[in-house]
Amino acid sequence: MKSKHVYTLLGFLVVLSMVLTACQPATATATTQPTEAMMTEAPAAATEAPTAMPKSDRHGGWLDEMDFSVVSSDSAIAQVKAGAIDLYSYQLASSELPAIKDSGLDYTSSYGGSYSILLNPSVFKDTNVLNPFSDRKIREAMNWLIDRNYVNQEIYGGGSLPKFFALTAQLVDYTGVVDTARALEAKYAYNMDKAKQVISDEMTGLGASMGSDGKWQYKGKPVSLAFLIRPDGDGTRKPLGDYVANQLEAIGFTVDRQYKKSSEAAPIWQGTDPADGKWNLYTAGWLPSGLTRDEKNQFQQMYLPSSIQGIQPFLSNTNDDPEFQKLGDDLASGNFTSLQQRHDMMVKALELSMEDSLQVWVIDQKSYSLYQPNVSVTYDLGAGIESAFMGPYNVRFANKEGGQLKVGTNDLFTQPWNTIAGGNWVWDSFVQKATAQGNDLSNNGGIMGDPYTGLAWPQRVASASVTVQTGLPVTQTLGWVKLDTADTITVPSDAWVDWDAKAQKFITAGEKFPNGVTAKVKSVVVYPDDLFQTVKWQDGSPLSVGDFVMPLIETFDRANPDSPIYDESSVPSFQSFASYFKGARITSTSPLTIEYYSDLYYSDAELDVISLWPSSPSGLSGENSWDILGISNLAEANGELTYSADKADAKKIEQTNWVGGPSLEILKKYLDQAAGESYIPYAPTMSQFITTDEAKARYANLAKWYSDHGHFWIGTGPYYLDKVFTTEKTLVLKNNPDFVDTADRWASFSQPKLANAQLDGPAQVKIGGGATFDVSVTYNNQPYAQSDIKEVKYLLYDATGALVDSGEASAAGDGHYQVALTADQTSKLTAGATRIEVAVVPIPVAIPAFTSLDFVVVP
Amino acid sequence: MSTETLSTPVSKPARVDWANSTFLRVLRYSVVRLVTLFITTVIATYLTILIANMGGYVDEIMRNQIREQITQAMISNPANQNMNPDVRKQLIDQAVAQEEQRVGLNTPFAIRSFRYLSNALTLNLGRAINMTSDSGSKDIRLIILERLPATLLLMGSSQLLLFFGSVFIALVLSRNYGNLWDKLVIALSPTSAAPPWFYGIFMILIFAALLKVLPFGGMVDSPPPNNRVDYALSVLKHLILPGFSLVISSLFLSIYNWRTFFLIYSSEDYVDMARAKGLHPRDIERKYILRPTLPNIITNFALLLITLWTGAIITETVFLWPGLGRTFYRAIGFYDTPVIVGLTIIYAYLLAITVFLLDFIYALVDPRVKVGSGK
Repeated sequence: MKSKHVYTLLGFLVVLSMVLTACQPATATATTQPTEAMMTEAPAAATEAPTAMPKSDRHGGWLDEMDFSVVSSDSAIAQVKAGAIDLYSYQLASSELPAIKDSGLDYTSSYGGSYSILLNPSVFKDTNVLNPFSDRKIREAMNWLIDRNYVNQEIYGGGSLPKFFALTAQLVDYTGVVDTARALEAKYAYNMDKAKQVISDEMTGLGASMGSDGKWQYKGKPVSLAFLIRPDGDGTRKPLGDYVANQLEAIGFTVDRQYKKSSEAAPIWQGTDPADGKWNLYTAGWLPSGLTRDEKNQFQQMYLPSSIQGIQPFLSNTNDDPEFQKLGDDLASGNFTSLQQRHDMMVKALELSMEDSLQVWVIDQKSYSLYQPNVSVTYDLGAGIESAFMGPYNVRFANKEGGQLKVGTNDLFTQPWNTIAGGNWVWDSFVQKATAQGNDLSNNGGIMGDPYTGLAWPQRVASASVTVQTGLPVTQTLGWVKLDTADTITVPSDAWVDWDAKAQKFITAGEKFPNGVTAKVKSVVVYPDDLFQTVKWQDGSPLSVGDFVMPLIETFDRANPDSPIYDESSVPSFQSFASYFKGARITSTSPLTIEYYSDLYYSDAELDVISLWPSSPSGLSGENSWDILGISNLAEANGELTYSADKADAKKIEQTNWVGGPSLEILKKYLDQAAGESYIPYAPTMSQFITTDEAKARYANLAKWYSDHGHFWIGTGPYYLDKVFTTEKTLVLKNNPDFVDTADRWASFSQPKLANAQLDGPAQVKIGGGATFDVSVTYNNQPYAQSDIKEVKYLLYDATGALVDSGEASAAGDGHYQVALTADQTSKLTAGATRIEVAVVPIPVAIPAFTSLDFVVVP
Repeated sequence: MSTETLSTPVSKPARVDWANSTFLRVLRYSVVRLVTLFITTVIATYLTILIANMGGYVDEIMRNQIREQITQAMISNPANQNMNPDVRKQLIDQAVAQEEQRVGLNTPFAIRSFRYLSNALTLNLGRAINMTSDSGSKDIRLIILERLPATLLLMGSSQLLLFFGSVFIALVLSRNYGNLWDKLVIALSPTSAAPPWFYGIFMILIFAALLKVLPFGGMVDSPPPNNRVDYALSVLKHLILPGFSLVISSLFLSIYNWRTFFLIYSSEDYVDMARAKGLHPRDIERKYILRPTLPNIITNFALLLITLWTGAIITETVFLWPGLGRTFYRAIGFYDTPVIVGLTIIYAYLLAITVFLLDFIYALVDPRVKVGSGK
């Protein structure tokens, strides 16, 4: 009997221990009590140790091999720590930051999306129900109700950035208006009393009254707010929503917390008329768009009824002040003639957006990728490792050439791979980028996107010039582009402007526009003299002019109903392209020289260089030779395969997949057919650039490649796709020793040159007296070159935290600037503790450095 | 199945009493049983369709997802930023309409639901809405077939080991009722309250993260070995943790169940009688205990075989095992009704066939059972 009790007790203890273990919270969540305001500066940079710039005469990438496999983000930290993988290239949320730091591993830090509280702006149809957020002043007051620093520290591990505006915190456009931004951040800093006062006044004005229970009442019923809180995703929106709900309850609102997944919440906040009153607040999340240099469209996109979002909350925000509406639309449409005018408009829009507050922005999240201390990576400051065009070029073992790197990521082969209308998942595109030449944000191949500034560098371009229409606000930063202006840019009559799918010939400007046509931008790119001798496809075929022409034909042909590969789903994106494309022509094939005419322009001349390249014409990652496109087109024309998922579903056929599945055998069949016929696609045009002998050689090389590697994914980049295992979700990349560049080509970009700023000065300043503060700017403890610093701004706050003055610091040498406050400036201060802040804007990276110093002002 | 026939007088010409013949009885029973099972399958499948679509509400979810995806795609194209908002809206609406047509949202759910049903019943699995197979195909047949071997390997090895291991150990324990091992199994049986993935996480922490002797997950090393033997060994290495998790999570309760089951049968009067007659314990176990329990054992085994098809949804996810469980999980996440229905209908048919066949197997192994006798 005694032993029976022992066994019962033992069994009970086992179950209890398991239950307790299972119930243990994964991470600490927010509590309701806000803490004191904390610093709002950028989190410390990633923990990379500085290394000397490596040199190499090895061609291709740094590594011998990269083995990719799928690793769950839940076990990523443990797997890197255990040495099972060397690098987890997918990004972890900032809520994981404490665990990442505890692991002692190295990590990258980049922008990872933003969160806001989206407010329903409509007056409800049911007149007995009050929607407080139909009142703009209550929406504005929500800014004072939310302690963004508290949210950052408690929910996001202190690793993210408090966000007040639609502009990405501390990125390029934010930096341009930093004085206004900081002043507004001071104005809208957490202030519960002020929020309560403003909301109370407005609620009373709307006819509500405070009940004896401390709750707002309207027409005899409590004012209840339906709050859609998302518990899914990275899990941070739930504590964020709970925090905001607590704050609302603290000032007298009754909050109906509705925890709903994305799929459950979207039909309510997007799918219902806001005036139906199904919701009042929603924890919105917005994806990062990479290292965006131009965010002028954000005001229209994030607040106005003319928003590209086109969904109900925006469409219903019709009670904006007309000034904000016009300003947002003008900025989005580029209705300005100088950078100064643009700057002034941005400043005004920033102020008006806070008054509108359709969305109350809370956090610009940071995301992190992990790697072993013996690994060196290059990552995009805006979107991480997998989005960096330079990423695969620079990833390496520190102080070592070669080696086998094990990379884990979130998934692989999520959708079929083809460069025309295949999948575009970031983990797949990381692999695809490794097989290709660089690309920039404007989708120009052969040009390398700068991961730290969003600008671009020439990779396979010998020289480039850009001519813009006089009056367009375009500047250049890096100096490799020749920029000039012209009153009128006329498209030459022999430039290709359209495509005749029946005749399979380009239509020239002279044929289509007998009276002439103009463009806003002309780009001329001259490629290297030895381009066709040095650059080879990984199957051994040399690059040819046909490879450059084919993607342009593909763009037109797929959207033309007369084409055998017509695809209705390509029409909307083609219409976008057609809205700005004005013409292109090849003026020389030795060296290859291509002119391009467009109405689309960026304010950075580097991004206005349009280099035709045999890369995806749809903006996907990867390259495409004319021969692989040719056999894929044959399969599509014969109704056996098709590039897009839409057409595949409509025709009930397979989507073209160059790396696996039933597509491979079909493609092989058409490869054999093409080889047998020495097939030249679009012969009336392409035969000007391709000979029969070249076609034969191409198909022979492609067939051998397929025989050796079992797939059709071929590029010209530093790594080639050696093996693919789709069910096992793993693949092998190997070094391409025939790649034209050496591995160290982009080594100077191994690490972001993030500036570190320090401020020193008097602890006490007398009102009406002068004061000088010294700013020290360093990188890796070395002075930051003055030529690499665009400007150093200072911001002077008074004892209440309000901005009283701002200006530019003067240079006093490399890494040394001075702020000299005059008697007039100190006269504006009041006695008490005050603060001076500086923002250092470096050129090599898009993220400024902030620092501040407190001092005492005495009468 | 009973082989009895009615005896007839030799002197009279044989006259078959069709109304009471075994053949007719079995035939009648079979038809009724098959019709009943078919109706059950139809109802179960249609209920699955309704549940998978939340009675049609999923259409609303998908419409919103489509608009969101297309809008985001438009936003990411710089060319669309400067476009006239009306033109842009027109383009978005056009793309949304195309996509809604592609996934079938232009057809009312009521009609689509019966189309799903008829396709499923005829095993015309068709194409997925959003999911693709690992090799990129939307052919549901391929989506299933690519994952089937991995699931059969994991579930087959673990469940067969669990089943035969449990029955064997239970038999041994039932012979030694009340000893230390018996009590230990009873004490540990509550551990089966925890699901396999719970053990999986612990196993990963211990054997992968801490001891570093086994992999965290996946089915094979990266890159997979070229040599077939090495490949098989690599798969085996990856199979250990998920397989062990599946076994250990059910082992003690399963042993406890079987042991109790055998104990009940071993205390029947006819067993006591056999013991009193002095029969050898082995004979008693084989003829007096195991044989009467055979229908139950076979039923359990047959149902086990068809559950291999379903995979282990969360365990496969924890171990990133490329099996059908994860496919099912993804299909639910994507609201991909054709895939959900495809997996369900195959399970439903397998279950119906198994249930149908079991009736005949009972009759074969147990003389007391007569097919269609109504007893």
